[in-house]
Amino acid sequence: MGVEMGKERIPGFELEGRDEDGMDRGILTLSVGPQHPGSGHFRLIVKVDGDMIVEALPDPGYVHRGEEKMCEYRNYIQNIPHLERPMIADSCGILYPYALAVEEVCNIPVPERAKYIRVIMAELNRCIFELYWLGIYGIFLGHSTMFMWPMADRELLIDLAEMASGARVTHAYFVPGGVRNDVPDTFPEKAKGHLLYFKNRLKEYKDIFYDNPLFQARTVGVGILSREDAINLGATGPVLRASGVDHDIRKVEPYDVYDEIDFEVVTMKEGDSFARAYVPWLEMYESVEIALQALEKMPSGPVRTKLGPNPKGAVGEAFKRVEAARGELAYYLVSDGNPKPYRVKLSVPSFREIPVMAHLLRGAKLADMPSIYWSMNYWPVEADR
Amino acid sequence: MGSVSGMLRTLASGSKHLAIKRFTLRYPEQKLRFVGDGYQFDPKEGVGIVGYRGRHILYHDKCTGCQLCSIACEGIAEAISMVKVDKQYKQNKKGIMPQIDYGKCVFCGLCVDACPFYALFMTDDYELAAYTKEHLIYTPDQLAVKPKYQGTYEIKIDELGAYHDE
Repeated sequence: MGVEMGKERIPGFELEGRDEDGMDRGILTLSVGPQHPGSGHFRLIVKVDGDMIVEALPDPGYVHRGEEKMCEYRNYIQNIPHLERPMIADSCGILYPYALAVEEVCNIPVPERAKYIRVIMAELNRCIFELYWLGIYGIFLGHSTMFMWPMADRELLIDLAEMASGARVTHAYFVPGGVRNDVPDTFPEKAKGHLLYFKNRLKEYKDIFYDNPLFQARTVGVGILSREDAINLGATGPVLRASGVDHDIRKVEPYDVYDEIDFEVVTMKEGDSFARAYVPWLEMYESVEIALQALEKMPSGPVRTKLGPNPKGAVGEAFKRVEAARGELAYYLVSDGNPKPYRVKLSVPSFREIPVMAHLLRGAKLADMPSIYWSMNYWPVEADR
Repeated sequence: MGSVSGMLRTLASGSKHLAIKRFTLRYPEQKLRFVGDGYQFDPKEGVGIVGYRGRHILYHDKCTGCQLCSIACEGIAEAISMVKVDKQYKQNKKGIMPQIDYGKCVFCGLCVDACPFYALFMTDDYELAAYTKEHLIYTPDQLAVKPKYQGTYEIKIDELGAYHDE
């Protein structure tokens, strides 16, 4: 028998200590969100018994835009700007598998230089996104310095991305067949300078944030996700790696030139909120290394295969996945031979964190909710698509 | 105890910033310099030329009124509409040219990629704020004006940290 709570009914969930008539009078239902009290456009229906959360029901869908349906009415090029809208902080990451999938369906070759530029931009975007997330994580735990520093250092990398692509956040830079334009001649030198400086700055984050006893008190041992649960619940990205699973699409299924680049997959065993916050920080070091290596190896040559304005796909399908900043991001694309895709399916990492979030919040303290919620790296707009 | 040393290290790391230079760009007085002359596209090579994607510039002597920019924008922002211009052009008998609504434009630059006649490019100008929505609609005559954007500042990095300077 389920618990009756207003209109909601949770099948299969039993509460202890109910009244004889089956009502749970000791349980208070709180609605966290959807008007952005630190949750994004997303609602968590939290049921608390005193200070403990007995049940957290994620309620996504407030920013559903119908991206998948929109794709069916636009041609392969027109789809580019709206597909990066779900995750503008990591716009290259969300566009990457789309470009790969269209290349497979339409049989478009990619020049070697474009592959390296894509890797550099994807890694810059990973850092840009993770700094943005780290800033928000900091401010929601009351650490306002950790909001200011990443936001300022993010500017260094945004400056590089803008130099290469011409736009600060929504780059619309990856296209089927390469990238929109070549990077300027001064880019490699400037990028090296900024990345090396950024690498040194990252060390200071450890001093002020990760080694801070106040931050550790809020996160260490909070919301522990075991290795088995992480796999069973379908966690992905830093959440999965913080629980000790060595899984990274860049290693498992290398795309573009990731197989030519030497880097390590960061994992931690603890699986608590601290590990989930620490893994992205370690990954930023790897991202800087990957970007520096790619800058070193980048050959000269063309960057874009010349296409007609309206490329047609062959009849077929493609499934491509990449490691975006939040985890595995996959596109399934079906083409029926028209200039417009027949079906585009996005599998986004944020959506896959919803069951993990519900699992971790059950039994946690209400005060630990921000620390668990933000460590999930959950972005409502991306999850709703 | 670890917490005391952690606290001290935190304070030391923060107070270091009293000595290093301020990173912030003081925006209206100081403006960033961009690479190139704005985003352009070379239809012969099929590849873009690097530059900032700001407000468009329309070359009246090249635009043929073919509507390809408008068609490209149709599924993206629907910001471009073709309007009649008063002047007569040899290459543009119908006398229609794009008019861009910056209340809708997303600055993706795919209209520039669509133009086969080198007539529509983008510029460094991003200061497009207006008092009314109507003022955000740029007519072909307004788009023909070359913007006066001149940024001189860029990020410099030295032993004192990163900062904006000329």
